Amino acid sequence: MNYTFDWSVVTNNFPRLLDGLLLTVEISVIVIILSMIFAIPVALLRMSKIEVVRWLAQLYIEIFRCTPLLVQLFWVYYALPTLTGITIPGTISAVIALTLNLTAFMAEAYRSGFQAVPPEQVEAGKMLRLTRFQQIRHIIVPQALKQQLPVIMSLDISLFKDTALVSTIAVADLMFTANKISTESYRALEILSVAALMYFLIAFPASLILSKIERNMMETGNVRGIRRKSLAAQMAPGTKVEVKP
Amino acid sequence: MSENSAAHTGTHRDIAAKSGDVLVSCRGLKKSFGDREVMKSIDFDMLAGDITVIIGRSGSGKSTLLRAIAGLTDPDDGTMTFDGEVVFEDSKRTPAWKQVDSHVGMIFQSYTLWPHMDVLKNLTLAPRKRLGMSESAALERAEKALAEVGMSDHIHSRPSELSGGERQRVAIARALMMRPKLLLCDEITSALDPPVAAEVLDVLRRLKEEEGIAVALVTHDMAFASKAADRVVFFHEGEIAVNATPDDAFNKAEDPELKKFIDAVRF
Repeated sequence: MNYTFDWSVVTNNFPRLLDGLLLTVEISVIVIILSMIFAIPVALLRMSKIEVVRWLAQLYIEIFRCTPLLVQLFWVYYALPTLTGITIPGTISAVIALTLNLTAFMAEAYRSGFQAVPPEQVEAGKMLRLTRFQQIRHIIVPQALKQQLPVIMSLDISLFKDTALVSTIAVADLMFTANKISTESYRALEILSVAALMYFLIAFPASLILSKIERNMMETGNVRGIRRKSLAAQMAPGTKVEVKP
Repeated sequence: MSENSAAHTGTHRDIAAKSGDVLVSCRGLKKSFGDREVMKSIDFDMLAGDITVIIGRSGSGKSTLLRAIAGLTDPDDGTMTFDGEVVFEDSKRTPAWKQVDSHVGMIFQSYTLWPHMDVLKNLTLAPRKRLGMSESAALERAEKALAEVGMSDHIHSRPSELSGGERQRVAIARALMMRPKLLLCDEITSALDPPVAAEVLDVLRRLKEEEGIAVALVTHDMAFASKAADRVVFFHEGEIAVNATPDDAFNKAEDPELKKFIDAVRF
């Protein structure tokens, strides 16, 4: 390889890269928070006893699961203003499209978690005369979130990386900024490597935490309160094997 | 009985229907699931302060009756009264049901304590959110309820740290938090070892004797039924085949299906 690295392009443009990273993180945080909130009603509608409501919720989920995120992003940025006559700034478009997309995936994770809560626990809440909202708020959602935490975190990590797509609608995120600097400086290798490293330095610790949570859940059992010791711990000499249904 | 529990007893007696009054009355209750008729025009009365043991084979309609009384299942037809109020007629709950529903508690076979809360939170959630009790009042009531079931030392334990019998006793304490007049127990001891089951059943007997709480219990524990029950109700194929005192039911049983059932359970 006959290439001479010039890292000064990185040091000279580091504040710009940091600004881009900051916007990437901001978009990610906003989208994750909004999706985590909106996914709760969507998941509940998806489980509604009213067939039409259930279908509508499923239709929304399938549309956003079965079309490319890039198409969704372009549609919100370019097509939606044609439909509504309102021009939406790039960053807002990005937040809308990413939120709609992540909410669809998150709602399915929630639904799976809601359905994993034993019905007897909900009935116990009914017998204590908690309202439906109180049952959802205090019994179902906390357990579903805990149970689905690995899935939710995994979706969040994917979302963080997918925010790079917003560079295509001129949102000055990390990817857009890196691409711009590399075009200006002809130093794509240094700049894009550093950009990749920045994404990695945020996503990797989150991935490590995710792995630890998954390991912990496998060792200590699920959220139903049944503490399953690892097989090795159960088989240890002198260990009293406790069987709980 | 401690001073605290004596005070607690007094409060319960204030709100409980007078012992001997009809607490629950069901007439012509019917319920089908698809083509299967699980309750065929059930007539059933329960007196305040009584322990009624409900026995019968799986699918005979015992749990469906309990769930109907609890408000978890609506019968297809029939009427129900609770403490003198008509709570179900014309295939739906009446507005009176909302006035009395908190006086009906139910405990299930599987452990239904909420695993993400400790024992104290399990007990105080409903009184605080539903009855609007203050934190300190709910705590005081929780301490008394736990004392009644012998679980005071476990107030800050997580459900996962408790044995099966302890969880069921906490479930009883949780039901007591709403000051029930009636406790419905659906096979609550079937997953427990006999000595542990006996401890749990003993708690129910004390609640009846000390608090005047009526208990309807689906169980296969014939020893408990013969010693503690005021009435024994035998379900067979969606109908009440026998409704008698324990002595009449077990020692003078004439119903061939009940005889067969008792023999099958004993051996």
